[in-house]
Amino acid sequence: MKTLLIAVATLTVLPTAWALAGEDCHVGRGTWQPREAAVQAATELGWQVEKIKADDGCWEVKGRDAQGRRIKAKLDPASLQVVTLRHGERQEVRERDRGNATTVAPSSPPSNPLFQNGTPPVVRIN
Amino acid sequence: MKSILAALALTTALVAPGLAMARPVTLTTTLNNYGGDGAYLVLYVTDAQGAYAGTLWMAGGKSKYYEHLSDWYRAAGGSLAQIDGITGASVGAGRSLEITLDLADALFDAGYTLHADAAVEDMRDSPNDIAVPLTTAGVGQAVPGRRYIASFRFDM
Repeated sequence: MKTLLIAVATLTVLPTAWALAGEDCHVGRGTWQPREAAVQAATELGWQVEKIKADDGCWEVKGRDAQGRRIKAKLDPASLQVVTLRHGERQEVRERDRGNATTVAPSSPPSNPLFQNGTPPVVRIN
Repeated sequence: MKSILAALALTTALVAPGLAMARPVTLTTTLNNYGGDGAYLVLYVTDAQGAYAGTLWMAGGKSKYYEHLSDWYRAAGGSLAQIDGITGASVGAGRSLEITLDLADALFDAGYTLHADAAVEDMRDSPNDIAVPLTTAGVGQAVPGRRYIASFRFDM
Protein backbone atom coordinates (compact mmCIF):
# COMPACT_ATOMS: atom_id res chain seq x y z
CA MET A 1 0.00 0.00 0.00
CA LYS A 2 2.86 2.32 0.94
CA THR A 3 4.60 1.54 -2.35
CA LEU A 4 1.42 2.31 -4.25
CA LEU A 5 1.07 5.66 -2.53
CA ILE A 6 4.68 6.57 -3.33
CA ALA A 7 4.15 5.58 -6.98
CA VAL A 8 1.00 7.70 -7.22
CA ALA A 9 2.74 10.65 -5.58
CA THR A 10 5.67 10.33 -7.97
CA LEU A 11 3.43 10.20 -11.01
CA THR A 12 1.59 13.28 -9.76
CA VAL A 13 4.77 15.29 -9.27
CA LEU A 14 6.71 14.21 -12.36
CA PRO A 15 4.64 16.01 -15.03
CA THR A 16 5.02 19.24 -13.08
CA ALA A 17 8.76 18.77 -12.91
CA TRP A 18 8.91 18.12 -16.64
CA ALA A 19 6.78 21.15 -17.36
CA LEU A 20 9.08 23.30 -15.26
CA ALA A 21 12.13 21.93 -17.03
CA GLY A 22 11.24 23.90 -20.16
CA GLU A 23 13.75 23.90 -22.99
CA ASP A 24 16.87 23.90 -20.89
CA CYS A 25 18.85 20.84 -19.90
CA HIS A 26 20.11 20.37 -16.38
CA VAL A 27 22.91 17.85 -16.51
CA GLY A 28 26.18 17.86 -14.63
CA ARG A 29 29.24 18.66 -16.71
CA GLY A 30 30.77 15.29 -15.92
CA THR A 31 27.94 13.40 -17.58
CA TRP A 32 28.04 15.18 -20.94
CA GLN A 33 28.55 12.99 -23.99
CA PRO A 34 31.11 14.40 -26.43
CA ARG A 35 30.18 16.47 -29.46
CA GLU A 36 30.96 13.54 -31.77
CA ALA A 37 28.44 11.36 -29.94
CA ALA A 38 25.79 14.08 -30.30
CA VAL A 39 26.48 14.35 -34.02
CA GLN A 40 26.27 10.55 -34.29
CA ALA A 41 22.91 10.53 -32.44
CA ALA A 42 21.56 13.23 -34.76
CA THR A 43 22.80 11.39 -37.83
CA GLU A 44 21.07 8.21 -36.65
CA LEU A 45 17.83 10.20 -36.56
CA GLY A 46 18.31 10.89 -40.25
CA TRP A 47 19.43 14.47 -39.75
CA GLN A 48 22.11 16.27 -41.70
CA VAL A 49 23.98 18.28 -39.08
CA GLU A 50 25.13 21.72 -40.21
CA LYS A 51 25.96 23.17 -36.83
CA ILE A 52 26.17 21.92 -33.27
CA LYS A 53 26.89 23.84 -30.10
CA ALA A 54 26.23 23.82 -26.38
CA ASP A 55 23.29 26.08 -25.51
CA ASP A 56 21.16 26.35 -22.37
CA GLY A 57 22.85 23.26 -21.01
CA CYS A 58 21.90 21.14 -24.06
CA TRP A 59 23.51 20.18 -27.32
CA GLU A 60 21.79 22.36 -29.91
CA VAL A 61 21.72 20.97 -33.43
CA LYS A 62 20.88 22.89 -36.56
CA GLY A 63 20.54 21.24 -39.94
CA ARG A 64 18.00 19.37 -42.03
CA ASP A 65 15.87 16.31 -41.42
CA ALA A 66 15.47 13.31 -43.72
CA GLN A 67 12.84 15.21 -45.71
CA GLY A 68 15.19 18.14 -46.23
CA ARG A 69 13.29 20.45 -43.90
CA ARG A 70 15.31 22.84 -41.81
CA ILE A 71 15.41 21.83 -38.15
CA LYS A 72 16.64 23.14 -34.85
CA ALA A 73 16.79 20.66 -31.99
CA LYS A 74 18.09 20.37 -28.49
CA LEU A 75 19.51 17.10 -27.22
CA ASP A 76 19.94 16.12 -23.60
CA PRO A 77 23.73 16.05 -23.31
CA ALA A 78 23.78 12.91 -21.15
CA SER A 79 21.14 10.70 -22.76
CA LEU A 80 21.21 12.38 -26.21
CA GLN A 81 17.42 12.21 -26.24
CA VAL A 82 15.61 14.94 -28.16
CA VAL A 83 14.40 17.67 -25.78
CA THR A 84 12.93 20.03 -28.39
CA LEU A 85 12.58 19.86 -32.16
CA ARG A 86 11.39 22.61 -34.41
CA HIS A 87 10.95 22.55 -38.16
CA GLY A 88 11.46 25.48 -40.48
CA GLU A 89 12.70 28.96 -39.75
CA ARG A 90 9.32 30.47 -38.98
CA GLN A 91 8.41 27.63 -36.66
CA GLU A 92 11.54 28.21 -34.62
CA VAL A 93 9.84 31.24 -33.20
CA ARG A 94 8.62 30.59 -29.70
CA GLU A 95 5.04 29.50 -29.27
CA ARG A 96 4.19 32.66 -27.40
CA ASP A 97 5.30 34.71 -30.41
CA ARG A 98 2.59 33.16 -32.52
CA GLY A 99 -0.83 34.57 -33.26
CA ASN A 100 -2.05 37.93 -32.17
CA ALA A 101 -1.85 37.43 -28.45
CA THR A 102 -1.83 40.61 -26.44
CA THR A 103 0.36 40.60 -23.38
CA VAL A 104 0.81 43.04 -20.58
CA ALA A 105 4.08 43.43 -18.79
CA PRO A 106 3.75 41.29 -15.67
CA SER A 107 4.63 43.95 -13.16
CA SER A 108 5.20 47.66 -12.86
CA PRO A 109 7.81 49.14 -15.17
CA PRO A 110 11.07 50.36 -13.65
CA SER A 111 10.98 53.75 -12.00
CA ASN A 112 12.38 56.00 -14.68
CA PRO A 113 10.88 59.26 -15.89
CA LEU A 114 9.80 57.76 -19.20
CA PHE A 115 6.85 55.95 -17.69
CA GLN A 116 3.91 57.68 -16.11
CA ASN A 117 1.84 56.42 -13.19
CA GLY A 118 3.62 53.05 -13.19
CA THR A 119 1.26 51.76 -15.86
CA PRO A 120 2.77 48.72 -17.58
CA PRO A 121 2.93 48.72 -21.39
CA VAL A 122 0.43 46.71 -23.38
CA VAL A 123 2.25 44.65 -25.99
CA ARG A 124 1.02 42.77 -29.04
CA ILE A 125 2.97 40.80 -31.63
CA ASN A 126 1.11 40.61 -34.95
CA MET B 1 16.78 76.59 -21.63
CA LYS B 2 14.59 74.07 -23.39
CA SER B 3 16.50 71.19 -21.82
CA ILE B 4 16.20 72.79 -18.39
CA LEU B 5 12.45 72.98 -18.84
CA ALA B 6 12.36 69.38 -19.99
CA ALA B 7 14.45 68.28 -17.02
CA LEU B 8 12.15 70.22 -14.71
CA ALA B 9 9.12 68.56 -16.24
CA LEU B 10 10.67 65.14 -15.88
CA THR B 11 11.59 65.80 -12.28
CA THR B 12 8.03 66.87 -11.64
CA ALA B 13 6.84 63.67 -13.25
CA LEU B 14 8.98 61.70 -10.82
CA VAL B 15 8.02 63.63 -7.72
CA ALA B 16 4.34 64.10 -8.44
CA PRO B 17 3.25 61.49 -10.93
CA GLY B 18 -0.38 62.29 -10.34
CA LEU B 19 0.18 65.77 -11.70
CA ALA B 20 2.45 64.83 -14.58
CA MET B 21 1.14 65.03 -18.11
CA ALA B 22 1.36 61.90 -20.15
CA ARG B 23 -0.22 60.53 -23.23
CA PRO B 24 -0.69 57.01 -24.57
CA VAL B 25 1.73 56.32 -27.38
CA THR B 26 1.77 53.27 -29.63
CA LEU B 27 5.15 52.17 -30.96
CA THR B 28 4.99 49.81 -33.94
CA THR B 29 8.13 48.00 -35.06
CA THR B 30 7.80 45.80 -38.16
CA LEU B 31 10.56 43.36 -39.01
CA ASN B 32 11.89 42.29 -42.41
CA ASN B 33 11.67 38.70 -43.57
CA TYR B 34 15.36 38.22 -42.88
CA GLY B 35 15.08 34.41 -42.73
CA GLY B 36 16.38 33.73 -39.26
CA ASP B 37 15.32 33.07 -35.69
CA GLY B 38 13.24 35.51 -33.66
CA ALA B 39 14.92 38.86 -33.17
CA TYR B 40 15.85 40.38 -29.85
CA LEU B 41 14.83 44.03 -29.84
CA VAL B 42 15.27 46.72 -27.25
CA LEU B 43 13.61 50.14 -27.41
CA TYR B 44 15.26 52.88 -25.37
CA VAL B 45 15.53 56.64 -25.21
CA THR B 46 18.45 59.06 -25.09
CA ASP B 47 18.26 62.73 -24.22
CA ALA B 48 19.39 65.75 -26.22
CA GLN B 49 22.99 65.18 -25.12
CA GLY B 50 22.88 61.55 -26.21
CA ALA B 51 22.80 60.30 -22.64
CA TYR B 52 20.75 57.21 -21.85
CA ALA B 53 17.38 58.16 -20.37
CA GLY B 54 15.69 54.78 -19.96
CA THR B 55 14.37 51.64 -21.60
CA LEU B 56 10.82 51.22 -22.90
CA TRP B 57 10.73 47.53 -23.83
CA MET B 58 12.99 44.49 -24.14
CA ALA B 59 11.79 41.81 -26.58
CA GLY B 60 13.73 38.68 -25.73
CA GLY B 61 13.90 36.72 -22.53
CA LYS B 62 17.43 35.36 -22.22
CA SER B 63 19.82 37.80 -20.61
CA LYS B 64 22.85 36.03 -22.02
CA TYR B 65 22.00 37.53 -25.43
CA TYR B 66 21.57 41.11 -24.22
CA GLU B 67 25.20 42.02 -24.83
CA HIS B 68 24.44 41.62 -28.56
CA LEU B 69 22.18 44.66 -28.21
CA SER B 70 25.44 46.47 -27.88
CA ASP B 71 24.54 50.16 -27.82
CA TRP B 72 21.81 49.58 -25.25
CA TYR B 73 24.03 47.23 -23.25
CA ARG B 74 26.76 49.84 -23.07
CA ALA B 75 24.35 52.68 -22.26
CA ALA B 76 22.40 50.79 -19.61
CA GLY B 77 25.42 48.99 -18.24
CA GLY B 78 23.69 45.69 -18.99
CA SER B 79 21.54 46.30 -15.92
CA LEU B 80 18.60 43.92 -15.66
CA ALA B 81 16.96 46.38 -13.27
CA GLN B 82 16.47 48.64 -16.30
CA ILE B 83 14.13 46.11 -17.89
CA ASP B 84 12.44 44.62 -14.85
CA GLY B 85 8.74 44.34 -15.69
CA ILE B 86 9.15 45.45 -19.30
CA THR B 87 10.47 42.28 -20.92
CA GLY B 88 8.63 40.00 -23.33
CA ALA B 89 9.12 37.48 -26.11
CA SER B 90 11.43 37.90 -29.07
CA VAL B 91 9.82 38.88 -32.38
CA GLY B 92 9.71 36.61 -35.42
CA ALA B 93 10.84 37.65 -38.89
CA GLY B 94 8.13 39.53 -40.75
CA ARG B 95 6.12 40.24 -37.60
CA SER B 96 5.19 43.49 -35.91
CA LEU B 97 5.73 44.42 -32.29
CA GLU B 98 3.12 46.89 -31.08
CA ILE B 99 3.62 48.54 -27.71
CA THR B 100 1.19 50.98 -26.13
CA LEU B 101 2.38 52.89 -23.08
CA ASP B 102 1.94 56.20 -21.31
CA LEU B 103 4.88 58.41 -22.18
CA ALA B 104 5.71 61.68 -20.47
CA ASP B 105 4.75 64.72 -22.53
CA ALA B 106 8.10 66.22 -21.66
CA LEU B 107 9.84 63.71 -23.91
CA PHE B 108 8.40 65.24 -27.05
CA ASP B 109 10.04 68.11 -28.92
CA ALA B 110 12.79 68.28 -26.32
CA GLY B 111 15.65 66.58 -28.15
CA TYR B 112 14.92 63.04 -27.04
CA THR B 113 15.57 60.18 -29.47
CA LEU B 114 14.04 56.73 -29.49
CA HIS B 115 16.47 53.95 -30.49
CA ALA B 116 16.06 50.26 -31.25
CA ASP B 117 18.92 47.76 -31.19
CA ALA B 118 18.30 44.38 -32.82
CA ALA B 119 20.09 41.04 -32.76
CA VAL B 120 19.39 37.63 -34.29
CA GLU B 121 21.12 34.38 -33.43
CA ASP B 122 23.90 33.48 -35.88
CA MET B 123 23.40 36.74 -37.77
CA ARG B 124 25.02 40.16 -37.54
CA ASP B 125 24.10 42.39 -34.63
CA SER B 126 22.39 45.64 -35.50
CA PRO B 127 22.83 48.33 -32.87
CA ASN B 128 20.85 51.47 -33.52
CA ASP B 129 18.75 49.79 -36.20
CA ILE B 130 16.51 52.81 -35.88
CA ALA B 131 16.97 56.20 -34.25
CA VAL B 132 13.86 58.38 -34.34
CA PRO B 133 13.61 61.87 -32.83
CA LEU B 134 10.60 62.13 -30.50
CA THR B 135 8.82 65.06 -32.08
CA THR B 136 5.15 65.75 -32.56
CA ALA B 137 5.90 66.27 -36.25
CA GLY B 138 7.12 62.67 -36.43
CA VAL B 139 3.83 61.17 -35.26
CA GLY B 140 2.50 58.64 -37.73
CA GLN B 141 5.58 58.81 -39.94
CA ALA B 142 7.03 55.41 -40.85
CA VAL B 143 10.82 55.34 -40.65
CA PRO B 144 12.88 52.58 -42.32
CA GLY B 145 15.36 50.57 -40.25
CA ARG B 146 18.90 49.62 -41.16
CA ARG B 147 18.93 45.80 -41.07
CA TYR B 148 16.21 43.74 -39.37
CA ILE B 149 13.61 46.46 -38.88
CA ALA B 150 11.57 47.17 -42.00
CA SER B 151 9.82 50.17 -40.47
CA PHE B 152 9.06 51.93 -37.22
CA ARG B 153 6.38 54.45 -36.36
CA PHE B 154 4.81 55.96 -33.30
CA ASP B 155 1.22 57.12 -33.00
CA MET B 156 -0.64 59.12 -30.39
